[in-house]
Amino acid sequence: MAVVAFDRGRHLLAVLTVAATLALIFVGGLVTSTGSGLSVPDWPLSYGRLMPPMVGGVFYEHGHRMVASAVGLLTLVLAAWTARAEPRRGVRALAWAALAAVVAQGVLGGLTVIFLLPTAISVAHACLAQTFFCITIALAFATSREWLAEEPPRDDAGGVRGAAALATAAAFAQLVLGAVMRHIGAGLAVPDFPRTYGRWLPTLDVLSRGPVAVHLAHRAGALLVLAALANLVVRASRAQDGRLARPAQLALVLVLVQIALGAATVLTARAVLPTTAHVAGGAAILGLCWFATLRARRHLRAIAGPAGVAMALGDPALS
Amino acid sequence: MTLRKPVALLTMAAPLALIACGGGEKQETPAAGPATTQAAAPAGGGGGKGSASVSGKVSYAGTAPAPEKIKVSADPYCQKEHKDGLERQTVAVKDGGLKDVLVYVKSGLTGTYPPPTDAVLLDQKGCMYSPHIITVRAGQPLKIRNSDETLHNIHPRPTVNQEFNIGQPRQGMESTRTFDKKEIWIPVGCDVHPWMRSFIAVLDNPFFAVTDEDGKYEIKDLPAGDYEIEALHEKLKTTTSKLSVKDGQKATLDLSYKG
Repeated sequence: MAVVAFDRGRHLLAVLTVAATLALIFVGGLVTSTGSGLSVPDWPLSYGRLMPPMVGGVFYEHGHRMVASAVGLLTLVLAAWTARAEPRRGVRALAWAALAAVVAQGVLGGLTVIFLLPTAISVAHACLAQTFFCITIALAFATSREWLAEEPPRDDAGGVRGAAALATAAAFAQLVLGAVMRHIGAGLAVPDFPRTYGRWLPTLDVLSRGPVAVHLAHRAGALLVLAALANLVVRASRAQDGRLARPAQLALVLVLVQIALGAATVLTARAVLPTTAHVAGGAAILGLCWFATLRARRHLRAIAGPAGVAMALGDPALS
Repeated sequence: MTLRKPVALLTMAAPLALIACGGGEKQETPAAGPATTQAAAPAGGGGGKGSASVSGKVSYAGTAPAPEKIKVSADPYCQKEHKDGLERQTVAVKDGGLKDVLVYVKSGLTGTYPPPTDAVLLDQKGCMYSPHIITVRAGQPLKIRNSDETLHNIHPRPTVNQEFNIGQPRQGMESTRTFDKKEIWIPVGCDVHPWMRSFIAVLDNPFFAVTDEDGKYEIKDLPAGDYEIEALHEKLKTTTSKLSVKDGQKATLDLSYKG
């Protein structure tokens, strides 16, 4: 493959898109946390105009639309630039996928307003936001000096690739659960923390209630993400490569902060700031896991055969 | 109206019931009419109006919760309208009378009552709803007006009727909507101004009233019959009482909530 030259401007644009997308997720979280999702009843205009008075809930909902438009514009420029300047077909396809995702995300946002926040569309809007965030991270990484350095990969003797993918999958599943919990209004279905209705282990009667079950699944999911990340940190640290270990370590710290934010969300009865920070924190954890996965894929080579399979399953004893 | 004929042996005096809710206290006192016992009354209604009425006072015993202080600074217009801040008193008590209790005939009517064609007005004024409890008949137009110099969205959240969310960005705008089915009651709110919360009661008969600031109400033109009268308050427990009335009778039904 021909050497691809580093394009500083396009890479910075991709990084800016990543940052703007994380900010957009926070602002989107604010819309739901403040109950402003329907404060602008029309779409794509707001009260029939481009710029309504930014009062009350309109500040959050229309503000979200403005930040989303900015991210859409960044993505459009990034896609056009990439289509024009990028020699790798896969990266060009990724840029177009980002553009398609941001357009679809805008349409989903509009549909959820027009159809008065149906759970399925609202959850899809939340999940596509995370997916789009991951695409922008991939674009930023694919255009980085690190990716383009053509450094020969090492063998993935410690099973880092599989562990990173597992952590990413766990984080994404946890975000889906969180979105479902948030949009069916189950965020306070269990009003105490860390116990459940005063008990460490919930009774079957409590568990049989749908919103409670979703809420508790999200709490259990946090422990799974924690375990998956601890596994990744151990493996990435053994690989003696800070580029792999650092994002995993940061994600692990963030999971601990995230659990505290989740507790604060419950104990403050969904106060706006902890609740919204919890949403953005989830996105940041997913982003770091995904970044760790991309780095592991770039710098480590899968080991073929039974040992490689054992690594992917996360059991070094079998390798 | 054939069903307006009273059937028999009820009390000569209509019951004046004092029914406690939330506290279990129940009292009956004679009404203004003659005191006889009525064994059974015909089902009332028949789709027409009668000549009986029921009135009374809804009392609140105890100390009402302190009003909730609401920040309205999110909208400069609303802040200007409420310079000293806004206080929401959902349990509004004056001289023992409880305001904003919906009292209506829940059952006992046999006829159907076509809805009026004139619209009920729900006004958004001073970043508040007026009236606070909106009563409208199923099929009757509900006119929603924005009297404020700021924008509002109006968003009822029914479970039986069709939900809608409409924006009124300019002062003086009016929209008309209709709820087709009986539904008591529908929370309605403005997502721009989260403190704006109210209730719409969609009724299938014209025999209802909302208590005034003294806690008083009156339901007029009631056909003779046996009825279930239900009283609802947005924060307090719902209560149901039995009532029998004869033609021309002015019955009294007092209700009491305990704090």
